[in-house]
Order: sequence, then structure tokens, then C-alpha cells
Amino acid sequence: MLALVGLALVQVTLLTTPLGFAAPLMLVLVVSRTLLGVGAAFPDLGLTRALRWALYGGLALDLLAATPLGAHALALLLAAFAVAAATRRMRVERLLIPLAAIVVAAPIYEITLALLTQPGPVEWRSYAQVVILPATLAALVLMLPTFFVLRRVLRGQL
Amino acid sequence: MRDLLDDRPIKLRRERSATPATGRPFVVAIVLCLLAGLLFALDRQGLITPARQAAQQLLVPVAQRLTALRDGAAELATAPRSEDALRAQVVELQQANGELQAELLRREQAQVENVFLRQQLEIQRANPWTLLGAEVTVRSPDAGRRVLTIARGERDGVRPGMAVIGQTPGNPAALIGIVETVGPRAAEVLLITDIGSQVSGRVMHTGRAEVGLVQGQWQRGSRLRLEQISRATPIADGDPVVTAGLTAALNLPFDLAAIPADIPIGSVEQVSSAEQYQSAELRPFVDSDQVRYVWVILSQDG
Repeated sequence: MLALVGLALVQVTLLTTPLGFAAPLMLVLVVSRTLLGVGAAFPDLGLTRALRWALYGGLALDLLAATPLGAHALALLLAAFAVAAATRRMRVERLLIPLAAIVVAAPIYEITLALLTQPGPVEWRSYAQVVILPATLAALVLMLPTFFVLRRVLRGQL
Repeated sequence: MRDLLDDRPIKLRRERSATPATGRPFVVAIVLCLLAGLLFALDRQGLITPARQAAQQLLVPVAQRLTALRDGAAELATAPRSEDALRAQVVELQQANGELQAELLRREQAQVENVFLRQQLEIQRANPWTLLGAEVTVRSPDAGRRVLTIARGERDGVRPGMAVIGQTPGNPAALIGIVETVGPRAAEVLLITDIGSQVSGRVMHTGRAEVGLVQGQWQRGSRLRLEQISRATPIADGDPVVTAGLTAALNLPFDLAAIPADIPIGSVEQVSSAEQYQSAELRPFVDSDQVRYVWVILSQDG
């Protein structure tokens, strides 16, 4: 959990993009962890751990951001849940799977955050152009390096 | 990371596992979602907000150091690359080095503080405000929300609804946001460009002034928009817009706002009309992404 708090700190301080928001490192980590969980020898255990990452990482982001406790956690959990459900019967070794997973997960994450934190009705068209699309692209850039680094860190006995 | 986060190392399977997957992770997901939802609801009610703010205070010093590190790296990345520019910089640095050799490291730090204090003094001379300087510790962590965290809090006299100003070279000190929540040693500032920010503003054109509403537009693809200006009032590109000080009186949804009048906000960029009203895109005087040090307006009396 301490490592996730540290990574959340890195996201909100060091990874600010020129567009004025932070690259979604925690989302990418949770999605990567979910895929590795799906592909593990014991998928139930792997997925449960991924969901724990989503909760802890989300709460860490909530502590660092001006959002009510649970908002980021819920967004990450839903993204992880969607990725787990969509990739349960797939082979995560394929290169396109992590990219496809983050393309699915990033909009779910951003939409959930918008619903939980935006005041009043959200103008989805402009929100998609200004928020969801740039955030998804930033996540796409981070996805493959993060996935392979995390796989190397976690594989241990492969 | 594995040691810290996972109890046991995992094994990735290259072939389909003989171990059948069960529905247990999905049950866990639902339970954790309910837990997160419960926390969200409790925080919205304010029941666990003090605990969250206390936990936030622990992270502020670390965030402050990391942000300073990032700013230093950004300066390095934007340093001049051409030979001429580098030569000029070397000459400047040699001069600066000669001067700095005579000074102690502590004095260097004092000079940095002095710059901010002088800036603060100049702002206070020109305006009847009591200011409190604050370092920016955390910038917007998400694409969907425009906020800053500053290293000043309740113990320094910061309260929700206070206006926060910033200044960039060549521009007047201008409104960048409003204090939204306050902890003991840190405060969260909702930037005026956020969709949730609404501030009463006064646009000035050839000696006439008209009051309107300045609405954040970042999530809609621009920065600021001035709305509800009567069509009878002529406004044009470049007209300055300042706070009207009427936010509380207008009874806007952002009920904590009580912003002093005459704080510069931005200038009119593009005017459009609809029915009996005009509206205009605004260019803020200060780019909130560039500020590292801001001032909270504690009072208007000076």
C-alpha cells in the first residue's frame, strides 16, 4: 500500500503533462495488474489482488486530489472490473490486449470520475474531446512500458 | 513492490490453466465498490472529511518536495539549446557565480523568499488586500478537474471561499481560483477555469462597466466565458474583466464564495450574441499551470 501511495504521489507531482493534467499512472498500473491477474496461474487470487490495488491506489489519489474519499477508488475498481470481465477468456500475452484494455478502461475511469465529481450535468461531447480523449492517449503511451515492467517485477518464478 | 503489495509471488500461465476460475473476484469487486461508494457518501456528508484532511497533511511535505523536483527538471528541459544562447547563458552564469560566491547558501534561500515578498508587497500597495503567500504543492491530478493544493491551511488563517491570486511575468496579479476546502496546513483551490467555478465579473469598455458572470470552461474546451452581458453594452476584444464582488449577492450555487471586487481576471477575446445577452471568451491574465507561488486574499482592508 505504501508503494501505491508513493506512485500516486509520483502521478500528481512528477507526471503532470503539458495539457495541464497528470498522466494516469495509477489507472495504467491497475489495468496492468488486472491483466496479469487474469493471466496468472490462479486467476482468482490475481484478480483479487488487482482489485485491492484499485482500492488502495484510488484512496491514495483521493487523499492527494480534491475529491471525496472513494471517488478515484470507485472509478479504478469499475475500470478494473470491466477489464477483468472483458479479458477473462483471453491470452494476455498478446501485445494488443493491454492496449485494448486501457482503451476500454480509461473512458470508464474518466466517465465515473466525471459523474462523481463534476457539479451539474456534464456536456459529454466536449468532455470527451477535452478530457477523455487526451487522458486515454496519455494512458496508451504509458500502458505497454508499464505492463511489461510490472510483469517483470511480479513474475518472479516464471 | 511485490514484497510490499502482494503476499505471495504470482505465476503467469502461458497455457490455459486447469484451475477453474470462480466468481469470487467479482464478489470481491462488488464488495470493494460498495466500500468505496460508502466512503464517498460519508465524505460527501462530511462525516470522514476531517480524517481525510488529517491524512492529507501527512502527504503535503512529500508532495511539495516532488513538485519542486519536477519544476527543476522542467527548467532543465526548457534550457536554451543553441550555441549562441548557451554562450550568452554561460556569460550570465559566470557573472552570477561571481556574485553568488560572496553569499552563503542561506542567503540564496532568503533571496528567493524576498522575491515573493516583494511581489506581495507591490500587490498590496496597489490593492487594499491582506495577502498570504503559499507554495503550490499539487496541481490537477486528473484531466477532469482543475484544482491546486497549496501549503497553507486553517492554521494560517485560510478559509473556504477566499480568493487566490497569482502573477506571471508581464501580467497583473490576477484571480486564479477560490479556496474550496481547508485542512490544518493545506488547502484545495478550485481554479476559475474549472466548470464548477462561477464568479461575478465586471467588464470595462471606454469608461463603462457592466456586470456579468464569469464561468469556467476548461472541461468544455476553452478557459473562461463571460456571460449575461446586456446587448446594450458595447464590449470588444481586449476589454479587461475584473471581479465584481457580487458573487455572494448573486446567490450562486458556489455558496462559499465572497470574492473582493476589482481583482483582475482576464481580457475579452471573442464576443458573441444570443437573444438579449452577449457573451465572450476570456483570456485569463494568469495561466494557472505556470504558477508555483500564489497568494490568498485574507481580507480586503489592507
